[in-house]
Amino acid sequence: MSSATPPPARPWSGRFPGFDVLDQSSHWDPVTTGVVLARTGMAPDIRFFTPHEQGIATALCDQLLGQHDEPTPVPKVPLVNLIDSRLAEQQTDGWHYDDMPADGQAWRDTLSALDADARQQFDSGFAACSSQQQASLIQAVQDRGTDDWHGLRAKRVWSLWTRYACTAFYSHPSAWSEIGFSGPAYPRGYKNAGVDKLEPFEVHDARPSEDPLRGRRGVQR
Amino acid sequence: MSNVRDRNESAWLLPADGKRVNHQLRQDMRRFDDIDEVDLLVVGCGAGGSTMLQRLARAGWKVVALDAGPFWDPAADWVSDEAGSHHLYWTEPRVISGSDPVPLGSNNSGRGVGGSMVHYAGYTPRFHPSDFETYTRDGVGADWPIDYPELKPYYEAMEEELPVAGEKWPWGDPHSYPYRPHPVGGNGEIFLRGADHLGLTAKVGPVAIVNGRFGNRAHCIYRGFCLQGCKVNAKASPLITHIPDALAHGAEVRANAMVTKIEIDERSGRATGVHYVRDGVPHFQRAAVVVIAGYSIETPRLLLNSACARFPDGLCNDFDQVGRYLMVQGAPQTAGRFDAEVRMYKAPPPEVSTEAFYETDPAKPYKRGFSIQTVSPLPITWAEHVAAQGHWGADLREYMSDYVHWSCLGALCEFLAQPDNRVTLSEQKDRHGLPVAHFSYSQCDNDAALMRAAQSVMEDILHAAGADEVITIDRFAHLVGGARMATDQEEGVVDAECRTFAVPNLYITDGSVLPTQGSANPALTIMAVAARAAERLISTSRRGN
Repeated sequence: MSSATPPPARPWSGRFPGFDVLDQSSHWDPVTTGVVLARTGMAPDIRFFTPHEQGIATALCDQLLGQHDEPTPVPKVPLVNLIDSRLAEQQTDGWHYDDMPADGQAWRDTLSALDADARQQFDSGFAACSSQQQASLIQAVQDRGTDDWHGLRAKRVWSLWTRYACTAFYSHPSAWSEIGFSGPAYPRGYKNAGVDKLEPFEVHDARPSEDPLRGRRGVQR
Repeated sequence: MSNVRDRNESAWLLPADGKRVNHQLRQDMRRFDDIDEVDLLVVGCGAGGSTMLQRLARAGWKVVALDAGPFWDPAADWVSDEAGSHHLYWTEPRVISGSDPVPLGSNNSGRGVGGSMVHYAGYTPRFHPSDFETYTRDGVGADWPIDYPELKPYYEAMEEELPVAGEKWPWGDPHSYPYRPHPVGGNGEIFLRGADHLGLTAKVGPVAIVNGRFGNRAHCIYRGFCLQGCKVNAKASPLITHIPDALAHGAEVRANAMVTKIEIDERSGRATGVHYVRDGVPHFQRAAVVVIAGYSIETPRLLLNSACARFPDGLCNDFDQVGRYLMVQGAPQTAGRFDAEVRMYKAPPPEVSTEAFYETDPAKPYKRGFSIQTVSPLPITWAEHVAAQGHWGADLREYMSDYVHWSCLGALCEFLAQPDNRVTLSEQKDRHGLPVAHFSYSQCDNDAALMRAAQSVMEDILHAAGADEVITIDRFAHLVGGARMATDQEEGVVDAECRTFAVPNLYITDGSVLPTQGSANPALTIMAVAARAAERLISTSRRGN
């Protein structure tokens, strides 16, 4: 990042001051703890994607979840490693549209198509494009809606990318802390359910009136 | 009705020591040989199959149930985590198509002993009397060969066995529930508040989650992970409501056994048993009666894959009925944003519902209706809502950070049965070399009109509760039909007793036999239909005949 670029605005950060869901991990059952803490350890090795695909997928997924300009030292969620593991183990939902290949092949085909778009428009592979260029290429896919994109229905491609990327990101405890979600709740459960009721370990939103939609429509916050 | 424990002792057979499985009971389970001709064999241990198994075992029949998935241990196999619960779903390959293709997998397909009820929300409403005669009343859908009063005693029996908690129910055939309603969390509070402002009746329940003491089942701890499998043993599934009692009465549950074909004796036209694969090894289990309960996708697929000389187009498919009239419910979810913190994850997702819009309203341009219930998506599912609005990147992150402020309602719209919404066989093969199911689905105009009407009511409720913004995602939920019950073989696959028209000792007792679906979650009705079929079978046949 050049020194002239201002630091990115991160309005999602710091809404639940001091809340870290991992502080509660001693209250989780051992099976759940094992599954969740594995995501905070070393990222699984890449087994499904080729190095070339990995580069495109990393840039794409980091853009989709706003991680591309994450300031260090905040560690990124290793989205592509988590997606790669699912595809390598065929941990998919099983179904596929009759006009789409199964998920693994669909990922390969669409990463390749995205790279082709980048070369055509910017004379550079997708991974090497600037952040703005990457964003405009991604936006172009979304904008095609139900129309065709490289022989596939763009809407289904968009759904494939966002489904996998969101599942990977919001499976991570750091994402839960960011949104104030309390994570696993067994065997303890909850004692204070209800509007505006908190458990002793939960933290109120510091900016409760920051409705993102309201802001976008220019309504006064 | 007799005391529930005298009819079904499952809850008392579970351990009281905090473990979730009676390991001794499973260890001591009776085991049959492939060459034993069992009196009755069940394919699939979900809502319908487990009910059959328990009823027949109690009647003294030699019974075995084969299930393609595992014999779950809630303590060891399930987690309090969304992404970590992927193994609860049927994720073998399937192909979807049509103008409105229906995603399968996590959305509606279960796996292992307990079936889809392992990850269903826990709502257990009855169907309304009108659901059994929609064609006569409204000229849409189909009439069942049985009516509501026929099924009522089985509804009542099942509500005691699960058991169901909820307020006195004013809709359909008004009735009460054996257990009082659960307290509600933030999402239920919002629904009740909005409904109250609109003068709309909404009630707490009905949910198959223990509220109070029931055998050795533990009380709900309100942790919000109902859809990830209940580690508490509070939410009902056949794994804990019917399988323990079946085992105690001599039934065998053979897990990880994928049934590949029903064998038919060409001379007699009767089923002789099933081919299955276990640990990679093919087997053949002999049986005097075969019951298929693989649900709306796998049951038709198994019938079609069981084609033979007598049934060249698929078993029981002489009249091209297998796989047809498959239904899903339109399930739009509308969420509302509040400055207060709703934290909808802190309570079971099933809390409050209304069936005020369930019946045909002559003033409306569409037939039939919808119900509305609380749904409380966890973060990954919530991200799907937000991404569906078009947000990505920084927008998505910002929007997601607002999670605790949102309340979410879901509708179940009665989509109509149509012959071309069906399962056929794909050219694609699974790992056993068998053609996979191809499921085609297209909505009709009435379906689309119900989706819009339901969304509008949910928006009204949330606005009335004080929401400043609302968003909607269009979804589908549940599966029924595909091998429907009818009065004759040209209109369906099984008769009113769930016996196939084509093969006298072959039955189907799962959701695929339902000719209509109403706006109700189907689990309770599937169990009631299976319980009735079991009772008929026991009373009319000599064992294994």
